[in-house]
Amino acid sequence: MEFFNAFVVSLQAVWNDSGFSAFTTGNGIMILVGLVLIYMAFVKEFEPLLLGPIAFGCILANFPNTGFFGEEMNVMKAINFGITNEIFPPLIFLGIGAMTDFSPLLARPSTLLLGAAAQIGVFVALGGAMLVGFSVHEAAAIGIIGGADGPTSIYLSTKLAPHLLGAIAVAAYSYMSLVPMIQPPIMKIMTTQAEREIVMKELRPVTKFERIVFPIVSTIFISLLLPPIAALLGCLMLGNLFRESGVTDRLSDTAQNSLINIVTIFLGTGTGMTMNAHDFLRADTLLIIGLGLVAFIGGTAGGVLFGKIMCKATGGAINPLIGSAGVSAVPMAARVSQLVGMKSKPGNYLLMHAMGPNVAGVIGTAVAAGTMLAMLK
Amino acid sequence: MEHSPVTTNPLIIMVINMTVVFIVLVSLIYLIKLIHFLDPTKEPEQKPEDGVAPGEPPLAVVKSAAPPPEPEPVDEGINPEVIAAISAAISAYGFSGQVKAVRIVNHESTPWSASAKFNNLKRK
Repeated sequence: MEFFNAFVVSLQAVWNDSGFSAFTTGNGIMILVGLVLIYMAFVKEFEPLLLGPIAFGCILANFPNTGFFGEEMNVMKAINFGITNEIFPPLIFLGIGAMTDFSPLLARPSTLLLGAAAQIGVFVALGGAMLVGFSVHEAAAIGIIGGADGPTSIYLSTKLAPHLLGAIAVAAYSYMSLVPMIQPPIMKIMTTQAEREIVMKELRPVTKFERIVFPIVSTIFISLLLPPIAALLGCLMLGNLFRESGVTDRLSDTAQNSLINIVTIFLGTGTGMTMNAHDFLRADTLLIIGLGLVAFIGGTAGGVLFGKIMCKATGGAINPLIGSAGVSAVPMAARVSQLVGMKSKPGNYLLMHAMGPNVAGVIGTAVAAGTMLAMLK
Repeated sequence: MEHSPVTTNPLIIMVINMTVVFIVLVSLIYLIKLIHFLDPTKEPEQKPEDGVAPGEPPLAVVKSAAPPPEPEPVDEGINPEVIAAISAAISAYGFSGQVKAVRIVNHESTPWSASAKFNNLKRK
């Protein structure tokens, strides 16, 4: 009898400590969402490097009684610390800087204007978010999805609306992976066949001096003007300096390979861990995903529209298709410009021309985030 | 952390932010131009010859490089993004025209024959 009682009590204790005892319908739905995201990441290959860890983090976040969010320190809590304290986004920027060639931007600096114009999507979505009832801080964090820049979206939402981080990160990365589907119809609607066929002049060669001095000077200028984004922009430019200096190959290699891969795992998993049923299963999430799409469309349209203006102003020297690359999404948005250009006129290579506004978009989104942080404090 | 925003009017936020973004990026344009101007390593710009603008290739080259009517790009098979990247890389090396076919080298042969192919390529 004693053995039987002990057996029952032990079984009861195991059941009470198990996840099944506290499992809710919401957890079940979120695990299904995680599985759908895993399918999109690994089968459909939509941004698998980031969506994969996000999806798995989402599943992990919905197991009750794991102690991930308790008092004691554990690996998941440490990863979450890196996100909530804005450690991972600048480190991602370090890797992006080491992987990015600024030469097209330096060769044709006027394309910076396209990166600025594409930020209009951020503010269209901000206005829309406020209209549907979000606070100004939440609206700013939602709007930055339009910048098509995952790390900046995470950076801003942890500062202004940490409770929306999961939804904002998922919307940002999902739309970034859908850039090849979202952008081309807008680009075609807004341009004529003749504009799409414009062949742009070859870019001038950029010297090593320019490639080394630019990251240093721009960091000094922008960090002094907008200190809240000094970490983001500083890391971007430091990574680029590693790449261009020619004497720090090991650091450049680490930044653009090992480091960014490690941080990507942490950032993705940690972002997924914020997608617990309590915070994610709300009508707001659907609104955020809808507003994210508005932001993306607005940004693409703004870039192409300004591209048309620059095309007219330069007497047809600029192909307006490169304007859509003004939303960050490096280098996917530039590839989309190339593909649409190639379809309109085979042999029309726009990739390097579109890299200018693409890099400008990264800087523009960071500047927009910094300005909003300064204004909304 | 609770913030007290300067304004909650989305239109004002948009106007102020877009103005700041444009000012910062226009300033960067001038910074880039200044860096280019001060660059001690840049090659002196060539004077135009026979009415040809600097940076433009001579007329004969333009004529010979003018591509004939080319077929539409194929969307199936290899990812078009890969084709685009290969085409852009070829263009960057100064070749004109369009990539019409991309063949994946068969890796299913033995390592010995793969090594022989690689050595042959290197000799060429």
